[in-house]
Amino acid sequence: MSEIHVPHRHPTLLRLTSAAVRRELLDRVLAPAATPLLLGVFAALAIIGVIGLALRVAGGYENRVAWGYTAALLAWLFMTVHGAPLAAAGLRFVKADWRRPIVRIVELCTVGGLVTFPLFLLLLPTLPPRQGRANIWFDWPGAPGAYEAVAVLFLALTGLAMLALSARPDFAAARDAATGAARRRYAFLAGGWRGTPREWDVLRRGLVLLGALYIFALAFVQFLYPIDFGLSLIPGWISAIFPAFAMLTTLQCAAASTLIALYLWRRFGGLSDYLRLDHFWGLAKILLATSLLWFYFWWADFLTLWYGRKPPELAVLQLLVVGPYFVPFALAFLLSFVVPFGSLIWNRVRISIAGPVVVALSVLLGNFFNTVRIYVAAYSVAGMGGHALEQVPPAHPPDVIDAMIVVGVIGLIALLYTIASRVIPPVSIWEVNEGLMLRRPAHYLKGEYIVVGKPT
Amino acid sequence: MTIRHLLGLYPDAERAANGADALRQAGVPQSSIEVLTDTPYPEGAFGEPPAQHRLFVFPFIGAACGFAVGLLLTAGTQLAYPMPTGGKPILSVPAMIIIMYEGTMLGAIIMTVLGIIFESRLPRARLGTYDPRISEGYVGVLVVDEDPVVGRAEQVFRQSGAEVIREREPED
Amino acid sequence: MQERHVLTEREINRDLLGFSLTTPRNFWLAAIPLGLMVALMFSAVGYMIYWGIGVTGLNRPVMWGFMITNFVFWVGISHAGVMISAILRLSHAEWRRPITRAAEVLTVFALATAALFPLIHTGRPWRAIYWVFPYDFSRGIWPAVRSPLIWDPSAIFTYLTGSSLFVFVALIPDLAVARDNSVGWRRTFYGLLSLGYRGTTRQWRLQLLAGILLSALILPVFVSVHSIVSWDFGMSLVPAWHVTIFAPYFVIGAVHSGVSAVVALMVLLRWAFHLQAYLTPDHFDAIGRLLIAVGNTWFYFFWLDFFFALLAREPDEVAVWELRLFHWPYNVLFAIFLITAYFIPVPLWLFRRVRRSIPLMLLTSISVNIGMWLERFLIIIPGLQWKQPLTFNWFGYRPSIVEIILVTGSFALVAFGVLMFSKFFPIIPLFDIKEGQKLRHDLRIGHRQVPGVIRE
Repeated sequence: MSEIHVPHRHPTLLRLTSAAVRRELLDRVLAPAATPLLLGVFAALAIIGVIGLALRVAGGYENRVAWGYTAALLAWLFMTVHGAPLAAAGLRFVKADWRRPIVRIVELCTVGGLVTFPLFLLLLPTLPPRQGRANIWFDWPGAPGAYEAVAVLFLALTGLAMLALSARPDFAAARDAATGAARRRYAFLAGGWRGTPREWDVLRRGLVLLGALYIFALAFVQFLYPIDFGLSLIPGWISAIFPAFAMLTTLQCAAASTLIALYLWRRFGGLSDYLRLDHFWGLAKILLATSLLWFYFWWADFLTLWYGRKPPELAVLQLLVVGPYFVPFALAFLLSFVVPFGSLIWNRVRISIAGPVVVALSVLLGNFFNTVRIYVAAYSVAGMGGHALEQVPPAHPPDVIDAMIVVGVIGLIALLYTIASRVIPPVSIWEVNEGLMLRRPAHYLKGEYIVVGKPT
Repeated sequence: MTIRHLLGLYPDAERAANGADALRQAGVPQSSIEVLTDTPYPEGAFGEPPAQHRLFVFPFIGAACGFAVGLLLTAGTQLAYPMPTGGKPILSVPAMIIIMYEGTMLGAIIMTVLGIIFESRLPRARLGTYDPRISEGYVGVLVVDEDPVVGRAEQVFRQSGAEVIREREPED
Repeated sequence: MQERHVLTEREINRDLLGFSLTTPRNFWLAAIPLGLMVALMFSAVGYMIYWGIGVTGLNRPVMWGFMITNFVFWVGISHAGVMISAILRLSHAEWRRPITRAAEVLTVFALATAALFPLIHTGRPWRAIYWVFPYDFSRGIWPAVRSPLIWDPSAIFTYLTGSSLFVFVALIPDLAVARDNSVGWRRTFYGLLSLGYRGTTRQWRLQLLAGILLSALILPVFVSVHSIVSWDFGMSLVPAWHVTIFAPYFVIGAVHSGVSAVVALMVLLRWAFHLQAYLTPDHFDAIGRLLIAVGNTWFYFFWLDFFFALLAREPDEVAVWELRLFHWPYNVLFAIFLITAYFIPVPLWLFRRVRRSIPLMLLTSISVNIGMWLERFLIIIPGLQWKQPLTFNWFGYRPSIVEIILVTGSFALVAFGVLMFSKFFPIIPLFDIKEGQKLRHDLRIGHRQVPGVIRE
């Protein structure tokens, strides 16, 4: 067997040298392209969102149902914006070699924590008193607000810490390549990074630890938020699977939002050399598996309630599935399960770039409808207490302010993401270069393959 | 013209791959060459083109059959012995879905296995030209073709380092 | 990750076929005691059929006891094969190679043993046929597909058929090697079973595709089987059984116990067949990492089950949990269950030294299975023993000697089955091991040799 050097025909091989990677990615942060239109649009959307939120706050907290779509939006942001970095944490855990060009793109999403945490604080007053409803807080002082706020803050900070730690070697590279103010800025961000073996060891272990903490924090938030802001607001709805379902949809949305981000960077961000078919294919497989699990978790929940036929359970099914929220439920079912399953089982769709991206869009929309049918329905229940939903409330349609909030908050997060990507290289230079060392072309007998190194 | 079977046995894969290459260069058609090994090698390691097959059709056919059987069984049994319960429909769809699902998967799995056997050109009553040393790491290159082609192959086998060359008449 | 032991094809054949082609004395040392235990078990079955199930400790209201506990336990163990084989195959995990077949074989025998228990539990097994198969034309009575007890046979039949075929397909190339290395009746036997396999490039391509395709097909079946077992309980209105999380909780519990059982099996195989070159500490390390993730997910689902019983604050639910937690003997069993299934093994697995210690991995895997057997016992018996309002007589449950023999005999039956399989067929896949060696290609990075593998 003899090793050969680029050019090589293998489709999953990055055909760049380490120096080229370094130069190209550092140029993006040291001399970023002017994008006034993009930043302007995002800023305008952000302003619309802030106005929407101000109007909503001005409307007061008495009419809880008015906040339903905002609560659904936050649940969706936990699944998508906070879900995406799971792709980095999870793929690092399993040492998936193909993760390298995509981890930073999703880690940058953690800047969304700067939006979700304040949004969560704004939503806290919408919670009714915990007395009289099934809640998890017994009589702890300050519950639930203080504890949940700490959990959401912990999630946001862990994500940002993961981003900062992972970017440290790249900051050092930027420091060494920059001059003047930029050099000082990156020197500060790099925190004296020199690249000693000890620093690399701490970095690797730190990323695994922060990844584990991030997964734990997200699972914890996806335990607290769905129970307190969703399930406990509907009398008689006791479903132990619900937090697990929330975490599963988070995994599904993590794959979907990562796919969308990859596509945008590939199509409009000039990263087509880095983001290749194997990334889309790998994520499509995760998306297919999680879409099947979406149905499985929903079915386990539905079947148990349907078979039980206890009046409180039937009332819950009436509210969330077959009654006033049937349309968002049907859309969620269609877009989060039927579309991904029906399309991704075909090799031709799965092993492509456009196919998984279109399906990812469907999944994100489907899960938005899913959060709408749960949280808006929960917020529209009037009375608290009791063991059963006495009266199924009518569906609550969104108003203009809801639309402003949804579009504006997403715009605000996009603005922060874009700004962050002009400071932090959107592709992890050190991880890609490590990959170039560990992924080499090789001839074996009469074929051309790649050798993937797996360091212990 | 007589169809001849000729097996060249090489002690390692490297020489066998070179031998297979030399056969192609000597004008032996790819469809006449088969490489026999005791281990799966990466596709294309012996210069062979990707195998054409229709394996992926089998699970779909099996799934459709299994689904149909599941549907008939569940709907049929309920209609054959109707049990009205609390005014609910006789056909209990969620319960049916479970058995239909299992039927679908069972059909898909059975047909896939049949597909694998069929597409592997199995079962074979006789091994044909084969050498048990293949299971000890030797690599066999088998040429099945008309007389002149196999004659050329024999020469190639000799030149490319085949340790053993065996021939068998098809009716053996 | 992999420790390098380069063996020739002939050595691999000799090592891995030796036990099947010759009969060493230690085979009889294992087979005779196990055979006697199996004989004792079937004698107990015969005794129970002759005298009726009055010879068990079952009595109102506990009509499901050791036999159903054992049924759920063995279905759980049967999840090992698919978990290891299918998931690791799909994810191209190199360390799967020596263990896939043992895990699949364990699946087949564990599942067959599991299926035996509900049958003998009926007291008159032959009558169970008309519950399941639509044959009783004379009276026009048909199976009630609405009953979860009918779903079970369909799922188990599918899984047993699927996993047996899975084993068979992957065995064909090794049967061909056994054919080439044997004489006399063995040659005829292996020749017939190998279907004339010759190892053409086409046959290998289809063999590899078969592994992937069958893995993808059998995974959804594996999830469905234990879900359906859980619905035997979950579809009823028995307090603490009617829980929506039961399906995924049972599945992940099955994976927890099943993968642990594979660890125990690996240790036994390593010891019995001198497979030190094939089953290295690296393999135990990798499976230990997998178990950390599985164990924690299982604990999260257990927590959701427990937590939602308290959240609901329904008196019946709380009563069952009170029985489990505070009343003799369940309180002690509950403590043992949690300690052995989670608090001892999972924290220990966090340490690399433990994961690489074969005796400690054996002990922790046995610990998990003690805990998981008790888990099933504690789900079933206290749930039934709860004092219902209309129960006119109310006895406790104390297993009889017959049930104890049946349970211990089931372990012997599974072990006997695996032993007999390995007597006739290679329990470690020869071609997988050979392929792993062929595809090895170490990379040199500086002074370090990094293990690598060729990928297509």
